[in-house]
Amino acid sequence: MRSVLSIFFNVVTALFLREVQTRFGTKKLGYFWAIFDAMLMIFIFAGLKMAIAPKSLPGVDFAVFLSSGFLAFYLWKNIVIRSMNAFSSNKALFVYKQVTPFDTIVARVLLEVLVSSLATMVFLFIGWYFGFDISVDNFLMVIVSVIWLVVFGFGFGLLSAVLSTFYETYYKILNVALSPLLFVSALMYTVESLPVALREIVLYNPLANFIEMIHGYYFKALDTRYVDYSYMLYWTIIPLFLGLFLYQNGKRKLIMSLK
Amino acid sequence: MIKLTNVTKYYKTKNKKKYILNDVTMSIPTGKNIAILGANGAGKSTLLRMLGQIDYPNVGTITSDKSFSWPMGLSGGFQGSMTGRNNVKFVCRIYGKDDENIKEAIEFVKDFSELGDYFEMPIKKYSSGMKSRLSFALSLFFHFDYMIIDETLSVGDKAFQKKSKDALRKKIEKSNAILVSHSMGTLREICDVSIYLNNGELKYFDNVEDGIKCYESLK
Repeated sequence: MRSVLSIFFNVVTALFLREVQTRFGTKKLGYFWAIFDAMLMIFIFAGLKMAIAPKSLPGVDFAVFLSSGFLAFYLWKNIVIRSMNAFSSNKALFVYKQVTPFDTIVARVLLEVLVSSLATMVFLFIGWYFGFDISVDNFLMVIVSVIWLVVFGFGFGLLSAVLSTFYETYYKILNVALSPLLFVSALMYTVESLPVALREIVLYNPLANFIEMIHGYYFKALDTRYVDYSYMLYWTIIPLFLGLFLYQNGKRKLIMSLK
Repeated sequence: MIKLTNVTKYYKTKNKKKYILNDVTMSIPTGKNIAILGANGAGKSTLLRMLGQIDYPNVGTITSDKSFSWPMGLSGGFQGSMTGRNNVKFVCRIYGKDDENIKEAIEFVKDFSELGDYFEMPIKKYSSGMKSRLSFALSLFFHFDYMIIDETLSVGDKAFQKKSKDALRKKIEKSNAILVSHSMGTLREICDVSIYLNNGELKYFDNVEDGIKCYESLK
């Protein structure tokens, strides 16, 4: 008899491979599109920003600044959105009792991390090839920041998945709330560069803290003085535990309501 | 042994509760092939889902130390955008099969299901009969103490139906089947005991004939 853990690994692996097949395999250039999709958005916004307001940060390669921020932002956003849809997309597979809704979220998060990693490597290569300064100041802490960001996304995604299954309006509200995030997450500017009054407002957005943290550790010329670690911790832990709690309590209702 | 203890299962429709099972306590002895009889809408599929542990009673418990297959029904239990092949791989993986086993499974299922080229096409292009053939073929590859079969023996042409019954008969040498079928002939052939589900009540019969009589008299 397999242990619970090995069943979990088997199921997550199976789900992960199915997600890869669905995302990468169905179209001819599936692999290409999966990464290009992410990159396209970044190119568009980065290009726009550079064209309209090429405000430079001293000591920082602005193109690298934008790319790093956007890659992180989209990693988080995709984790949340794809987690929210994980249950309904995998509905048919719950006929197998080993497959739990929780597993589907884990598989999706892993996939988004994979896609984002690939996109990042492509970006780094492009940056290096065209002579941008892609050097990293504190590589370890950048990785730590990204992992933390993923955990934040996972917890928030799990909570969103459970809530949106039981409350349809949650899904709509979240979609609306996510759109303006692009402009208030310190993606195209540093918190330092903002007027003092705006700084506090932007820092209410937990994502802004994460992006500042990543930027702060990536670039020698920047630091993480505005990053509120305890605030980020609350935003990571509370949704995660709330999500886990609601999931455990509602697991049966969840599966039955998905039929 | 399958033990139902104070099991109540209902669906809420508008203001009423429709009871599938109403405080049912029963033990079904091991080692028998079970026919499930009941009118349409009585809750047979729900009962099968609960036995397959993908649905739960509102009150009470259903316990067993035996292993159950997933409920094989006409909807198949497959992910529409995946091909037949990939669905087979998926199920093998969640049951912890290694790569060699997976290859065997694919060959076996492709052959038995007689899907031909459709095997490489997404499930959403399948007819319900094809899905059933795939599901049944797949389930033959695994070992379960109880195979839960919801009507899928009546799909396919006569030759396929015969092949399925033969395969099932061979399978129940080592396993048992819980079978829902509207073909009384099939139930008589395969099953040893029967259960009649009606209005929240389960009646158990030590043979199939009495169950059929009960079902037909109350229709």
